[in-house]
Amino acid sequence: MSGSVLVVDDELVVIKSCERILTAEGYNVDSASGGAEALRKTEKTSYDLVLTDLKMPGMDGLTLIKLIKRANPAQGIVVITGYPTQETIKEALEMGIIDYVPKPFTPAVLTDVTRRAFQWIKGTVGGEKPKDEFPPAMIAELDRVIREYKNKPGCAIPVLQRAQEIVGYLPPLIQKRIAKGLNISPAEIHSIVSFYSFFTMKPRGDHTVRVCLGTACYVKGIETIIAKLKDTLMIDVGGITADKKFSLETVRCLGACGLAPVMVIDHDTYGSLTQKKAVDALGNYASLQTAEMSEGDESAAGKGD
Amino acid sequence: MRYKRDERYKRNERYNAINAMNNFRANIMLCAGTGCVASGATNVKSVLEDELKKKGLEDEIKVVLTGCNGYCAKGPVMSVYPDDIFYQSVTTEEIPKLVEEHFLKGRPYEKLMFKEPEKKSAVPLMKDIPFFKYQVLRVLRNKGLIDPEKIEEYIARDGYQAAAKALTQMTPEDVINVIKDSGIRGRGGAGFPTGMKWEFCSKVRSDVKFMLCNGDEGDPGAFMDRSVMEADPHAVIEGMIIGARAIGSHNGYIYVRAEYPLAVKRLQLAIDQCYEAGLLGKNIFDSGFDFDLEIYQGAGAFVCGEETALMRSIEGKRGMPRPRPPFPAHKGLWDKPSVLNNVETLAQIPLIIMNGADWYKSLGTEKSTGTKVFALTGAVNNIGLIEVPMGTPLKTIIFDIGGGIKKGRKFKAVQMGGPSGGCIPESLIDIPVTYEDVVKTGAIMGSGGMVVMDDNNCMVSTAKFFLEFTADESCGKCVPCRVGTRILLDMLIDITEGRGKESDIEPLEDLGRDIIAASLCGLGQTAPNPILTTIRYFKDEYESHIKDKWCKAGVCRSLCTFMIDEKTCTGCGACMRACPAKAITGEKKKPHNIMQEVCVRCRSCYETCKFNSIRILPASAREKVIW
Repeated sequence: MSGSVLVVDDELVVIKSCERILTAEGYNVDSASGGAEALRKTEKTSYDLVLTDLKMPGMDGLTLIKLIKRANPAQGIVVITGYPTQETIKEALEMGIIDYVPKPFTPAVLTDVTRRAFQWIKGTVGGEKPKDEFPPAMIAELDRVIREYKNKPGCAIPVLQRAQEIVGYLPPLIQKRIAKGLNISPAEIHSIVSFYSFFTMKPRGDHTVRVCLGTACYVKGIETIIAKLKDTLMIDVGGITADKKFSLETVRCLGACGLAPVMVIDHDTYGSLTQKKAVDALGNYASLQTAEMSEGDESAAGKGD
Repeated sequence: MRYKRDERYKRNERYNAINAMNNFRANIMLCAGTGCVASGATNVKSVLEDELKKKGLEDEIKVVLTGCNGYCAKGPVMSVYPDDIFYQSVTTEEIPKLVEEHFLKGRPYEKLMFKEPEKKSAVPLMKDIPFFKYQVLRVLRNKGLIDPEKIEEYIARDGYQAAAKALTQMTPEDVINVIKDSGIRGRGGAGFPTGMKWEFCSKVRSDVKFMLCNGDEGDPGAFMDRSVMEADPHAVIEGMIIGARAIGSHNGYIYVRAEYPLAVKRLQLAIDQCYEAGLLGKNIFDSGFDFDLEIYQGAGAFVCGEETALMRSIEGKRGMPRPRPPFPAHKGLWDKPSVLNNVETLAQIPLIIMNGADWYKSLGTEKSTGTKVFALTGAVNNIGLIEVPMGTPLKTIIFDIGGGIKKGRKFKAVQMGGPSGGCIPESLIDIPVTYEDVVKTGAIMGSGGMVVMDDNNCMVSTAKFFLEFTADESCGKCVPCRVGTRILLDMLIDITEGRGKESDIEPLEDLGRDIIAASLCGLGQTAPNPILTTIRYFKDEYESHIKDKWCKAGVCRSLCTFMIDEKTCTGCGACMRACPAKAITGEKKKPHNIMQEVCVRCRSCYETCKFNSIRILPASAREKVIW
């Protein structure tokens, strides 16, 4: 990923962490500590994306968005906010922001939102509109789940879990549909999705590789295994391979410490891993594009009876 | 008549279960816990059954899948009853031989038995194996003995007798008094007396109360709750029924991590069986007492192990803690009085009701009664789940049960209590393991994770590992935890990457103490513990990282140089083959050399070398080398 981002926030901590996260993703990051400074900077240089806080001393975020949009209506803006109330978000959305990140956020959420914002920017520049990419059957099933749970107290999390099973991930479109169905604000649904690590806003591959980051696995060198998997699949943690076969994730602790280091592919646990064992395990699911692994394919296919 | 409706059902099923076992000459209890399944237990089962059929033994010998046995490191494991012979590391290739020797010829098959480390002699009986010898099984009483997916087998082992007693013969006050008298303390970590918790809640008047079970086992390095839920789900349910009776609750939830699919499946099965048998639902044991139980799957947030956060999560919101008071006993789930107990606590309740408080107190110390389950992992020989009386010396656990440190390395520390705990050094290895004694060291009992570390582990990066965890899992609600853990982590990163200053240690401690004092919930209040204990016991390591830029364990890559000792290197070439960067050169049988500009400091050579010829030197050593 490349592109330029301007982070506007009055808290140095937020700027610092955004810088760290986004620089690691390959973006050029600049920062401003207030609305006025941000406005000066946007006038001088052009940024692909502006990430801004809403509550700031002096010029607040909404005013900043208004002024930037007046000067350059095509400017992509994402809001970072610790107060995602319906009103402010609605107001900001009406001004044409692309997305918002509720504070506190995880690096994954920030990179995800930024990446999607960039896709959106590129899409709009090319004149393409994001289209409804979910088959009607999937949506019908989702609606059925929503109806089933609707009157149960505390139903948001179970519905989101089921929705993730159905769709595979929880993009904004799905979140909005759930929010509407359950009569909960989209901001609240989003706040739940972003809070729990089980939920993902990114699509997953056919097979999910989840590597344990527990203490026992750490002591036994899981880091080298992760490095090897990253190399082999040519993706980062949280990424998905080009052929959409694998996605790589980490999980806090799989509770199989006796077998450390451990990973789980779909529902199968692989323990006492070495770098080689980890790569071999991948071969059980799909032929790898990088490593030439000739064996394994026939044995999987040959199991007729 | 103590209980009418279910008595006939129970009696029949109980006899059926016993008969089922008696009809066979022998039962093979094959462990089907997550660990053994990953080691191939499923394959072993099908091959074993085929082989028995081939030999015509399928009507005489039965293969039963059980819950986790605990000895995960040697999986798949199985034991044969009635002889009580224990087999480990069973492979499909060995099965024909095993069946022939043991079941046809009647000679237990030595090759798959546990071997004594020194004498190499086989140990046939489970109770003689050191790993099991020092253990006292209460929570894990049914491990490896019953099929967790069959309620009859649990009932055959006196299951639901305690619930019947509590519901038909005891008043709620009686139940609470027994539990209080037993001195059992919450096994989730903080060790709050369970009886007191129940008493508080029982005294609050409310039409709706909730009985909750905390199965959100988030501590990395702990897996006892998963094991109990997988191996003995009915024990947890029975404990909840008794607890519900004591506090006057008619609704309950078991909150389980979504990362534990097998536990969820087995609990759900157990709940369904209970409804069918009339052990849940309306009018249990004709006592007029109703109790409904549901599973609620968590969605992966460590902070949800905290009680107020967990309740928020069941309400379907972001699982963020809130200040107490009001305590959950007054205002908990949906603002109704609630009690939340840990899985391990609940699994012991039936035993206390059946055997009485004095029996329970007979083990353990005055303030920490009973037994505790630990997940022993890391650099010890015998990895697995163990249960010992409270007050067992740490040394016994690590060196007798755990069988000492792998590859004869040197013991350095044991990490207890996960990200909320701390590292206990070798000098304190004689302490008895009780709530009080562990807290004195700066660590906490926690849920019982024990990760043993040897001299290959760097204590600074261990502290960093835990801070990464807590900084990431901090829910962000209160500033001391959200910002404080981040700053601590940044300082540790600086130290491990060679940017540490001598003045860094003191602020680390000060800030750590501030975070403990000012944070809202247990996560923040304990997050600095890993740093504080490592500074307390391993200050020299921090100093060598900062002053000498030297990570003596060779873990922090910027702070070490790997070099080959020419005097002891035999030139065997093992390191050369292991090196992923191809940084090692040298001719056969002549001392090798590491090219420092190519070396990525991955430790591969260090771990491969059989002659201890790889030296770990400070980072500055790199510059001095002339090629």
